[in-house]
Order: sequence, then C-alpha cells, then structure tokens
Amino acid sequence: MSEAVDLSFLSDVEKDLILQVLQRDEELRKAEERRIRRLKNELLEIRRKGAKRSSQRYSERTCARCQQSLGRISPKANTCRGCNHLVCRDCRSYGPNSSWRCKVCTKEAELKKTTGDWFYDQRINRFANRLGSDMVRLSLRHRSAASKRETVGQTLLQKAQLGDPKGSSAARQKSPQEPRKVPSLFPDASDPQEGKSDTESMENMSLDGYRPAPAAGGGRRNSLDKATTIKEGKQVAAPSGPVAASLTLPLPSRNVLSATNGRETLTGSRSSTLVNEHEAIFKKNPRRVVRPTDYTKSVIDLRPEDFVGESSSMGDRSKSVPGLTTELDEEEEDIDNLVEIHRQRVARGSMRSGTSSSTLGSMVSIYSEAGDFGNIVVTGGISFSLSYEQKTQTLFIHVKECRQLAYGDEAKKRSNPYVKTYLLPDKSRQGKRKTTIKRNTVNPLYNELLKYEINKSLLLARTLQFSVWHHDRFGRNTFLGEAEIPMDSWNFDSQLEEFLLLHGKTGVDAAGLPQYKGELVVSMKYIPSSKHPGAGNGRKGKAGEGGELQVWIKEAKNLTAAKSGGTSDSFVKGYLLPHKNKASKRKTPVVKKTLNPHYNHTFVYNGINPEDLQHICLELTVWDREPLSSNDFLGGVRLGVGNGMSNGQAVDWMDSMGEELNLWQKMRQYPGSWAEGTLQLRSTMAKLRP
Amino acid sequence: MSDGDYDYLIKFLALGDSGVGKTSLLYQYTDGKFNSKFITTVGIDFREKRVKLDCDRSVSQISLLQVYRPNGPDGVGGRGQRIHLQLWDTAGQERFRSLTTAFFRDAMGFLLLFDLTNEQSFLNVRNWISQLQMHAYCENPDIVLCGNKSDLEDQRMVKEEEAKELAEKYGIPYFETSAANGNNVSKAIDTLLDLIMKRMERCVDKSWIPEGVVRSNGHSSTEQLSEEQDKGKCGC
Repeated sequence: MSEAVDLSFLSDVEKDLILQVLQRDEELRKAEERRIRRLKNELLEIRRKGAKRSSQRYSERTCARCQQSLGRISPKANTCRGCNHLVCRDCRSYGPNSSWRCKVCTKEAELKKTTGDWFYDQRINRFANRLGSDMVRLSLRHRSAASKRETVGQTLLQKAQLGDPKGSSAARQKSPQEPRKVPSLFPDASDPQEGKSDTESMENMSLDGYRPAPAAGGGRRNSLDKATTIKEGKQVAAPSGPVAASLTLPLPSRNVLSATNGRETLTGSRSSTLVNEHEAIFKKNPRRVVRPTDYTKSVIDLRPEDFVGESSSMGDRSKSVPGLTTELDEEEEDIDNLVEIHRQRVARGSMRSGTSSSTLGSMVSIYSEAGDFGNIVVTGGISFSLSYEQKTQTLFIHVKECRQLAYGDEAKKRSNPYVKTYLLPDKSRQGKRKTTIKRNTVNPLYNELLKYEINKSLLLARTLQFSVWHHDRFGRNTFLGEAEIPMDSWNFDSQLEEFLLLHGKTGVDAAGLPQYKGELVVSMKYIPSSKHPGAGNGRKGKAGEGGELQVWIKEAKNLTAAKSGGTSDSFVKGYLLPHKNKASKRKTPVVKKTLNPHYNHTFVYNGINPEDLQHICLELTVWDREPLSSNDFLGGVRLGVGNGMSNGQAVDWMDSMGEELNLWQKMRQYPGSWAEGTLQLRSTMAKLRP
Repeated sequence: MSDGDYDYLIKFLALGDSGVGKTSLLYQYTDGKFNSKFITTVGIDFREKRVKLDCDRSVSQISLLQVYRPNGPDGVGGRGQRIHLQLWDTAGQERFRSLTTAFFRDAMGFLLLFDLTNEQSFLNVRNWISQLQMHAYCENPDIVLCGNKSDLEDQRMVKEEEAKELAEKYGIPYFETSAANGNNVSKAIDTLLDLIMKRMERCVDKSWIPEGVVRSNGHSSTEQLSEEQDKGKCGC
C-alpha cells in the first residue's frame, strides 16, 4: 500500500479541496485510533485476569477465566466454543440461541467488529491475493497492525504532507513513452487498458505465479524499501537471488517464523515448477491461493469432500483472517504467550490453533497447483467420448472412467483421482472443467459430462487435454498422467467411446505440438548510459546509471483468431525477467479486430548495464483482450541469451532459441542501433527443450 | 464531530455516473436538505452521521437486533449500538476515476446510484459493479442500488422492473429514491447498514464456529451470487 495514486492531473485548486477532505478524514481517523486503542486495552485487561500462568499447575477443573473450581461438571457443556477452555457460568456471555462463549472470546469477537478488523482482515487478504509477491510481502509484515488499517486517504495525505517527492511529474517525465510507469495504488484504476474485469489481474497472477523466485524478490523490495518502487529501471537491472534475499532480511525475531516458512515454500515450489511449469502457467486464482489455509484447520473435516473445490469465497477469506491475537501481538507479547501456552495445552484441535500456521498455509498454496510431478510412474488410461451439439454450440465430454491409474499416495497405496480438462491453449480458470473426486480407487468410474460452450470453428483450433490428478486433502495434488487430442483431427460424427493411454508431462507440448501461432515483428535497441544524456541527472542518480533498452513492438502477423468472426483484439505485454512484476510490465494498446495488428508501440526499460544483458530476458506475450473474462493467450517469445542461466543460477526461462537468440545478440552487438527481427510466436510459454 | 464515543465506525461510499445525485442523496440523508443546483464534486468528499440502533428502530433494524441482542458485561448493548457513519461521496466524472476508484477499497458498503431519468446512467451500473468487484475490499461487497430522482416521474426513462431485474441479477437490494423529497433515502442506507452488520457478524462467527453450525442470516441472495461466481471462476 505504499504506492500512491497519481494526482498530477488535478489542478491546484482541486488538490487543495481534496486535501481539506483528507484532513477532515484524518481527524476522524485519529479519533478512531484512540478508540481502538482503548478497546484493545480493555481486552488485554480481561485476558490478564483470566490467563493461566504456564509456570503454575492448574486443575483441569477450574474455570479458565476466574480460576474458580468448577466441581463436577460435564466438560462438553462447559467448554467455550471459541477457545476450548472450561469456563464457569459467571465468565460467560450468552448470545442468541442461548449459545455462549467465554468473556475473552466474546470480547475478541466484539472487538473484531467494533474495531473494523473484520473488514481490514478481509481487505488485506484480497489484495494479498492479487499477486504472489504481495502475498510474500504481506506475510512478512502482516503483524503490523498499522499498515493493515492504512487507508487511501491516509496515504494521499501523507504524500501531500511530504511535499510529494514520489509521484511528482518530474520524475516521470524522464520516460514520456511510458506514462504509467509510476506504480499506482491500483494498477487498473488509472489505466483504461488495464481491463475492466479482474481477469487481467488473474492473468498477471498466473504468469507471476509460475515463477516464484522473482516474485519473492519483488516482495522483498516492496516491504523493505518502499521508496524504490519508482526506480524500477535500476531494479530490473539488478536481479537478485530471491531465495537468498528472503534470508537476509533484517527480521525482528518474531517474524522469523514466517520468513522461514516462506523460504521453504519457495524452495520447494521451485523444484516443482521446474519439473512442470506449463501446468502452473495459466491457472493461479485467488481462491486457490487462500483455500489451503483451511487445510490447516479442523474445519475442513466438516465439508462434503466433493465440495472442497467450490467453497464460497466469503468463507475462505474470513477463515484465513489472522486472529485477533496476532493483531495484538506487538503490544501484548507477554500476556499473549501465556494465553497461547495455555491454549495449546487445553486446545483440542481448536480452530484457533490454525492461525499460527496460516501464513505457511497460504504461502504453500500459491504454488500448490504446481503439484507433485515426477514422483510417480504414469500408468493407465482414460476412456471417454465426445460429441458436439451444433444448436447450442456445445462440446460434451463424457468422461467414463480411468483404468489402472498410478497410486497418488505411494505409501498408502491410495489414489483419489479426478479428471481435469482444458481446451488448450486456454488454461484459464474459465477453461477448466473437473470431474468429481473418486475415493480410494485406481479404476475410477465417473460417467460425468463436462461441457464447453464454444464455436465449432474455434474448437477446431484447440486441443483437448485431459489430466488426471490425485486429490490429497492435506497436501498437494499429485499428477497421475495426461492425454491430448487435437480437435481438428477428431471425428465428431463418431460418438464412440475412445480409450487413450495417459502419459507423463512432456514439457514442450502445452498444446500437443508446437503450433504455428503467427509472428511478431520487434525492433530493439540498447543505448548505453554514456550515449544517453539525461539519464544521470535528477535525484534518482542511481536509476540513471546504466543504459536504456528500447523495445519497439511493430506488428504481429497471422495471429490466432480468438473471437467469433475470425479476429482478435490483441495487445502485447512485456516483462523483463527475472522480474515478472508490475515494475517490469509493459503493455501496448489493444488493436482491435485484426489478426495482423500494427502496434507501433515502444517499451522502455531504464537502468540496464551492458553486463545485465547477459542475465535478463525479455518476455513478450500476445493476448486477445476479452473484457469481463480472461484474456486469451495468443503466443509469445522470449529474448535473451538462452543459456539457461541468470546471475549464476539455473533458470528455466532463459530459453531463447533461433531467431529469438539472434535478435538479442544482434542488439547487444550494435548498441545504439535498431536490431529488427520477425519472431515465430511460441504456442506456450513453458520452457523450450534445447 | 466525533470523539470516538461510538461503537462502530462504518464507512460507506456512494458511486455512480456524474449528475445522478450522489451528493444530494447523502446531503438529504445527513442534513435532510436538498439543493437543486448542480455542483459537481471535486474528486472525493465525505459526510458523517451518527446512527443509533436500538429497540425503537423499526423496519430493517428488527432483524439487526436479533443478531445484535444486547448482551455482555461491557454495557455496549444496554444503550444500543452507536454507529458513526462515514459516507464517502465520489465524483462521477471520468477524469477523477483513478482517484475515486482508489477509495473503493476503504469502504465497507456501497450505494450505487443511477438516475431514473437518464438511461445511460442505468446502463453504466454494470460497469460500476465490475469496478467495485475489482477495487473493493472483496469481490462481492455489499451494495445497494438506488434509482434516484424518483420524484421526476414524468421524465422517467428507466422502468422499475428493469432496474429490479438488474438488481436481482446481482443479488442486491434496489430502491427508488428521491434526494429531493427524501423518499426511500434513509431506507436505502439503513438497508445497507443492515447488510454490513450482518456480514460483520458472519465474518466474526465464521472464524470460530464450525461451518455446519453457522446460522443463516438471511443474506441468501448475495451468497448465492457469490457461489455462482465461484463456480464460474474456480473449481480446483
């Protein structure tokens, strides 16, 4: 939340008016802060009275709040549902339906409402879901109550009071070609092209998600050095070892736990993304991100198993809300420990015990879709039939059964398989269909119908992909095999049942075979700093160091038609890897209704040293803009040295080949002059095998 | 104005096309006055109002009180719930859009207005909702839809049925309001308040009562909506 809204378009009079409003808001906010402090002190007082000390022994039969002996009572009827403590009648508060909770739990719940934490907790989760990097960032600082409650008004006011050094127009005039370079609080708000729906952010998320390492780097930057957000050029030029970075954080001791968790997650997820990235490329979604938090809690047992995938967002979010206890930690460490120790002793699978692990839970979940690959030997096959109904323009996939699947859980010789389909290249959430999960069988019988509403001519350009997964309720789903059918070769007249053998991930073929997706014409120029006057001035002298990379996106040819009528509304998006984040993101305007769009748009990246060109990689992807839905991936290229290495680390995205490689080298060879190339679009951004 | 002597600070935000009457509606609500002169809002503004929820309140507050049975040793319940409303007013003009949408995230509930005498403002409701879904604190925030200027019956361009249909589609309450004569203004805002208080209750409840046990709060329409959305978007 450190980025700010760009206010440069306002006149001075307007700014003054708004400032007055914000000042009134601040008065209200200060009163509110005082009130909240008072309320929290009250809770502290109540807790202190009741907390059992870990140093002393207590009878199991005493009230957790007042320490009075409870005599012979039924534990079941006298246990608070909030904290699982035994509580005497005097220390309870009754709610509707004669349910009750102990005074501390009541107060906590009360406080959650009166302080507005119910709202702020949800909000912080929402925006944490937007990007993986935010997730990391937030988890690193989620103990900071102040930032959680921060409002836009507050941010703007602070900015105004500081004389607005960050968002000043002077800073941005340096690169007039990218007017939106300053990150705004809301990427979409000031940006008409950035989409009217959240599909765009979904897509960002998916692309960001599959490369956890840079995301973590971004997170680190954001949390540690808010001021640098604007110096993106420099950051791009200085890729950092992200895994190591999270280790070097000067963390207060209390944060160590979450940082450690983060590191483990990242390391773990890394290896899985290496094995199969294309599975992960297009499919992160916010619910997914949150859900496994639940797995750390006992709640999950109460759900119908088939329902796991569909739980309401409300529930997920509110469950992953960090407990009030967390929130209060900073001020109340000692008393909190006492309560915590006591809780752990008494708690019998208490739900609250989940809060402590929720950070880990949600971090793991970011990459959980990546799943477990490679551990199993794919066996068996899938039997299905297809039909297409012209009238409703619907593809029906009848998934009959799978036979002789591998064990998802080798140790227990168990599989809980389900089948998932995509019509590649669409790997968006909208394009996903799933069967139910069958328990404990390697020969699951589904007899389920999956449907796609799609125009026949579009369908023929797609590839139907089945993948079979073992559903692990508490861990990662395990990949059991997949099979693809290019739709153009399918005989829809025959509705006979078909049996296909499953195979493992082949890596190359998100769409079966490398398909022809058209070409992208790009011109690039690298201008070293000495030939680039005007770079080194200004207070951001650092950002001025290094040269400038200009990427002129000229046109694309023979793109795939994604819209009915055989056209696409396309745009090109660029990232300068390893930084797959907003700072390195560039986009062209959308060119409508053509498969041969002329973009004529230039991306500029600043602060790039000549030696950086060995370590960075320009990823350009072409998308069909689909308002209110997810954008369709039309193809992409990666430009770099293609040696699989960046800054001494093996990375899977440094995979340029052929013309991509040539163009990059040509650009490096002749600094200051344009190097142009016509590049074949890849049908998938999964790693190319050399 | 306030000195923290309230129990809840609730933040609402009014949004909708330029000239639909957001400022007027809030002014009518907080001050009971109406100014027919059109003064465009510069960026953002807010008004405040103190509301008390207690046994005397009728209409939508009945259900609220069921959830909010006065209890507890702290005495909060005894004198009713004192709510301090902060009502954010936003500029409808396009040029302020980046600023106004930024404020969406800080609001707990939304009054989405259109002008019954201006069809375009009604057509834009969809866009506003998708803006909300993107920028609000969650994907399915509480919204109340208001067709404003109901006093100008002779100039009406949007049928009540159409508006109701749209509201139903999104699972949100709809009111035909008049900032000029005050008709339905309090009702709309009270309804929103009601929704917020219930959501608040649910949020707190869910964090400690196993799911099967959570009692229904009669908020089914929006919940269904969100479930449907979930099905569309996700599934894994």
